[in-house]
Amino acid sequence: MSSYYEASARERLQNLLDPGSFQEFLPPSARAQSPHLLQLETPAAFDDGVIVGTATLGGAKVLAAAQEGGFMGGAVGEVHGAKIVGLLERALDERPAAVLLLVESGGVRLHEANAGLIAVSEIMRAVLALRSAGVPVFVLDGGQFGCFGGMGIVARLCDAVIISEEGRLGLSGPEVIETTCGVEEFDSRDRALVWRTVGGKHRYLLGEAKEIVADDIAAFRAAALALLDAKPDLSLDALAAEHEALGRRIERFGSAADATDIWRAMGLENPEKIPVLEADDFRAATAGRRL
Amino acid sequence: MRDWSQQQRNRQARLDRAAAHTSGKVVAAQDIGALLEAVIEPGDRVCLEGNNQKQADFLAKALAALDPARAHDLHMVQSVLALPEHIDVFERGVASKLDFSFSGPQAGRLAKLVSANRIAVGAIHTYLELFGRYFIDLTPRVSLVCAQAADRDGNLFTGPNTEDTPVIVEATAFKSGIVIAQVNEIVDKLPRVDIPGGWVDFVVQSPKPHYIEPLFTRDPAQISEIQVLMAMMAIKGIYAPYEVQSLNHGIGFDTAAIELILPTYADSLGLKGKICGNWALNPHPALIPAIEAGFVESVHSFGSELGMEAYIRARPDVFFTGPDGSMRSNRAMCQAAGHYACDMFIGSTLQVDLYGNSSTATLGRIAGFGGAPNMGSDARGRRHASTAWLKAGREAREGRMAKGRIMPRGQKLVVQMVETFREHMAPAFVEKLDAWELAETANMDLPPVMIYGEDVTHILTEEGIANLLLCRNDEEREQAIRGVAGYTPVGLARDKRLVENLRDRGVIQRPEDLGVDKRLATRDLLAARSMKDLVRASGGLYDPPKRFRNW
Repeated sequence: MSSYYEASARERLQNLLDPGSFQEFLPPSARAQSPHLLQLETPAAFDDGVIVGTATLGGAKVLAAAQEGGFMGGAVGEVHGAKIVGLLERALDERPAAVLLLVESGGVRLHEANAGLIAVSEIMRAVLALRSAGVPVFVLDGGQFGCFGGMGIVARLCDAVIISEEGRLGLSGPEVIETTCGVEEFDSRDRALVWRTVGGKHRYLLGEAKEIVADDIAAFRAAALALLDAKPDLSLDALAAEHEALGRRIERFGSAADATDIWRAMGLENPEKIPVLEADDFRAATAGRRL
Repeated sequence: MRDWSQQQRNRQARLDRAAAHTSGKVVAAQDIGALLEAVIEPGDRVCLEGNNQKQADFLAKALAALDPARAHDLHMVQSVLALPEHIDVFERGVASKLDFSFSGPQAGRLAKLVSANRIAVGAIHTYLELFGRYFIDLTPRVSLVCAQAADRDGNLFTGPNTEDTPVIVEATAFKSGIVIAQVNEIVDKLPRVDIPGGWVDFVVQSPKPHYIEPLFTRDPAQISEIQVLMAMMAIKGIYAPYEVQSLNHGIGFDTAAIELILPTYADSLGLKGKICGNWALNPHPALIPAIEAGFVESVHSFGSELGMEAYIRARPDVFFTGPDGSMRSNRAMCQAAGHYACDMFIGSTLQVDLYGNSSTATLGRIAGFGGAPNMGSDARGRRHASTAWLKAGREAREGRMAKGRIMPRGQKLVVQMVETFREHMAPAFVEKLDAWELAETANMDLPPVMIYGEDVTHILTEEGIANLLLCRNDEEREQAIRGVAGYTPVGLARDKRLVENLRDRGVIQRPEDLGVDKRLATRDLLAARSMKDLVRASGGLYDPPKRFRNW
């Protein structure tokens, strides 16, 4: 078992895609690095913290991007964002079987905030264009920094999110919530609370993540392979149904103070035991109960 | 004729004053201030149980809230200053003098009050030294201690975190002192009696359970590959050749890495059963995989560790447990055991000088010592032999004494494990310890040195192991230390020829000299790489505090 959580972005790509198939665009030797960080005399990365390229997955052609949490927490800057947008637009021309986004990001890079925000909006636009052209976009979320801020929005615009228990998905990160709303509202150092709220299991139960897998690159690969054949329904009816479901969700759980209250309301047995279950047992225990 | 019972009569007077505020031995929480006022006299020596882990926090608050006009000039004698209240008593003028061992979290405030002459520090002690003085010249007049539960006769059940309580209560109760215990609950029947009721004067149920700090939990996710490399070097270069069976590990990620590669790396070297059988150690969660793999025969503990209760209960062959199933720890006993009955101490430090003196003192903080000084000093009173002890003694003596005249004697292995640079690129090796300047600014009699160079036998860095036992004079010793100090200024100033010579003699050993393959030094070697892995290794018995979880 090879941990996805512990692996670097490059290791994830190497072990997730067909062996030897990955070809990188703008590799570190191309020195596509952030001009802003250099101006601020902040250490920069030769790949600006994201790796983009083409590969095969189970023989099918895919394009893939992987954010490196080890560099500024995977934060999106101008060049970083442009590499992802470029990849998505290339997919529009090449029509691969899918685009995989191995997201690990705290959001926009504060050193180049405006450029980063624009980059995120461009990523969002490119994702929607690609989906409407019939190329599915999948997010893999199981890195150490989770998936927050702008990339949290991007993730929810995609066709599906594959998450591990260790993965986290949200808009504002726990520290941001604590800083703005107070420790009584959300104690970011209570890690059990953090994972119960934004962690993989809860996101899966709420239907925001399509698949939950163990922290294992091979498990992420298997889940991504299985999604390749799924044909998403992008009709207006499907969209209306999803909106309605979201409305019901907030009606049903809007007043719940804690994720365990929601799990109990979903009819899960021993909700307090949910966090300790391994991925397989968890899927079995929650089958038919999630949204 | 001289009155030989003044202390007893004074004790009776205090009890008489207290009678108005108690019913039998039980005191109501809201009466605690009145009780303390009744039994404490100005100038008293007071022990407020502040431990490494559990804290008499309710009594600490009550003491700090006393009226300084009535309770003042108290002399605090306690092992650890952990809570803000431990410093508040001085700030508010209730206490003025302090003898202690460790003040980690309060080190900055302590330094400020000392330099403002608000606290007179008697001495910074090692644990056994302070406990020893409880029976010689620092006997408490009043002790405020902490237990899990009491019955109405004052019998105490301490639970797994017995820690300092027995030694404090014994010293106080048998010298006509007053013992007050805060407990989480008062019950009819205790699971077991850790402190007999006859030694306890009053018990009070605190409104909230006492605080326990999970001090010894290290998340394996934070162990670096450098630490894995150093752990491999420790096992191959020290544990294996000396066949270290009885030992204590310091607190920290360096030693946690060693614990976590016992079932993988040490096992692959065929060392199971040959090393690490008997421990003086808190129940480190990082030790779970080694216990499960059958490396560990026994563990005696200074205190317990939050979340380990059910695991310990299920492994009574390994841990010391009472008839009720829960652990019994005892800091004084375990410190004595670690000093006399262990072949090795290994731990981290912040600074090492050219003589091998090591210190965790930094400017502006009076942090004191943890368990390291008692564990990490040669036990001159030891007489029982073991392979490790004899080998270390032989290495130290051969070459320094003429053959034929050597009196055989062993020596404890004391290993300091440190990366050449610590946080913020501060060099760990220095010409002069910060402890000197701290001693000067804080008016101390001597620099606070955690482990003296003469006790240190090995220094281990990512650059290699310096075996100080084999050094024949001070110059060799200095060069051996410079030789493993890497790119620090101290390391760069080494005499290259002498260092190579020391390497030829095996005084300095690089990873390649030890046959340690650096390419294997990855996190994959850790038997657990996350907290969840530790829970899995324990079969679900370990229940980590929530701040350590990512599930």
